Amino acid sequence: MRFDRVWEIAKKDMASVRKYKYVLYGVIAMPLIFAIVIPFATIYPMLTADISSNGNMPVVVPPGMDVRQTMVIWMSNMAVIMFMILPAFVPSVIASYTFVGEKINKQLEPLLATPTTDMELLIGKALGAFVPAMAVTFASFVGMMTVVDIMTFQLFGYLLLPNLLSLAVLLVYSPLVALLSTSWCVFVSSKVSDMRAAMQLGPVAIIPILGFYFLFLSGLLVLDWLVLLIYALVLALASLGVFVLSKATFRREEILTKWK
Amino acid sequence: MIRVEGLTRNFNGRTAVDDITFEVDEGKIFGLLGPNGAGKTTTVRMLCCLIKPTSGKAMIGGYEIDKDPIKIREIAGFLPESPGLYGELSARRNLEFYAKLYGMPRQKREENIERFLKMLDLWERRDDPVGTFSKGMQQKIAIARSMIHEPKILFLDEPTAALSPDSAKVVRDFIVELKHEKRTIFLCTHNLYEVERVCDQIAVLNTKLVAFGSPRDLEKKFGSTKTEVQLKKIDKRMTDAVKRLKHVKNVKILGNKLIVDTEDPETANPAIVDAIVKHGGKILYVTRTAHGLEDAYLKLVKKDEV
Repeated sequence: MRFDRVWEIAKKDMASVRKYKYVLYGVIAMPLIFAIVIPFATIYPMLTADISSNGNMPVVVPPGMDVRQTMVIWMSNMAVIMFMILPAFVPSVIASYTFVGEKINKQLEPLLATPTTDMELLIGKALGAFVPAMAVTFASFVGMMTVVDIMTFQLFGYLLLPNLLSLAVLLVYSPLVALLSTSWCVFVSSKVSDMRAAMQLGPVAIIPILGFYFLFLSGLLVLDWLVLLIYALVLALASLGVFVLSKATFRREEILTKWK
Repeated sequence: MIRVEGLTRNFNGRTAVDDITFEVDEGKIFGLLGPNGAGKTTTVRMLCCLIKPTSGKAMIGGYEIDKDPIKIREIAGFLPESPGLYGELSARRNLEFYAKLYGMPRQKREENIERFLKMLDLWERRDDPVGTFSKGMQQKIAIARSMIHEPKILFLDEPTAALSPDSAKVVRDFIVELKHEKRTIFLCTHNLYEVERVCDQIAVLNTKLVAFGSPRDLEKKFGSTKTEVQLKKIDKRMTDAVKRLKHVKNVKILGNKLIVDTEDPETANPAIVDAIVKHGGKILYVTRTAHGLEDAYLKLVKKDEV
């Protein structure tokens, strides 16, 4: 595989996306919500609520902490876990454009006539969605971390973020989630022939990730390192599986002759 | 350079290309003619390794289409029917993207981008998004894109369709210039005027290959060769004299113009001129009709449909 060509395909897709305003707005809107709206909506009430009057709150308070601090840490961890979902949204916006958009604009035939292999094309397209997804995730995390630390510094006297969980989420789970979502969206984009179908099917990859999030939120799944390890393995295998499926079912001929 | 043997392609039981065989020599311009749905685009797509044949073989520059698709794509350039450019990117960026996919070194890439954009009069607009270009300009960029890696063989699918006459001329001149660089050009077109102007060899395709040869050969073999004589004034004695001549098959009168259908124009034309002058006719022009190839083409396509 020739990585210079893979990177060129990715770079071109990223440049194209920057020019499409509806795609760009979609990519920008999510991080604003994740970086500002969610931490404010979840942590701020914990900082201002009259917790001492709520004697029935079933909170296990670790030694050396009060109820408010425990609740704030729990909420900030929730906000951190949300960063497992964010990288799944961005590729669904970008990768829907990938093959379908190019086919609609009749740009795919000359591209398929170049000496790039199926693998180079698929990885290039995936990378073109993965890189912006990760860039947006990192930028949003820095934004969220700043907001959370400003809000909570007075309560703790130290910076709450980054913590070990947030680093694990950012460096392990976000890339894996982005990878799964990207592989899925490229697969969908190479199979369907209109943009709306691609955009509707793209977010399907988010469903199992949301499922995990709500299992954790409801307390059915305990956030410990074994669970997180299994989750990472599941994500990695699922990403690999979808990518292998994309490669195995990628047919230049079908794209040219069956799509109208 | 291009060798096709029994190439066939079926789509869900319908035969799009049926057992075609032909050869194109290096450095020649080959025109593939045919009505809509004749299988021209399918043929080009098979030769560019974009779709697989149902049966048959083809060799491009010494490589087999089913065994070495990547090698063939490296030595071939392809211009599809629609330019398919990235409208949001500049002319230069569009060309650079493809040049990189063909693995061209930086210096050569820069040189070729400049060379082709200047050759096609688009250098001044190199940094403008191609979405702002006219159809003709976009087609020129698409041609430059297909040429950017200096392919030995160039497949052009309707390169002048939907272009204004002046843009079409620029493209035609460019194609002829490529021939001087010893490149083999495979041209799919409906445009018979274009074929007559630029092609060395042509084939008429109507799912099957119905004729192959030089435009002149096909015109002679299947077309009716007509001579137009523009007179100052026409009268019946002249027409009758021309009709009586040995090689004349038919004579039509159109205003002060005689349109004479002959078996062998090179023998008949001097006799036609003599007969007219002898009967007091004043000749303004004598020309060969431009419809010879068109007649041949229509006859071939019609014959094949019957």
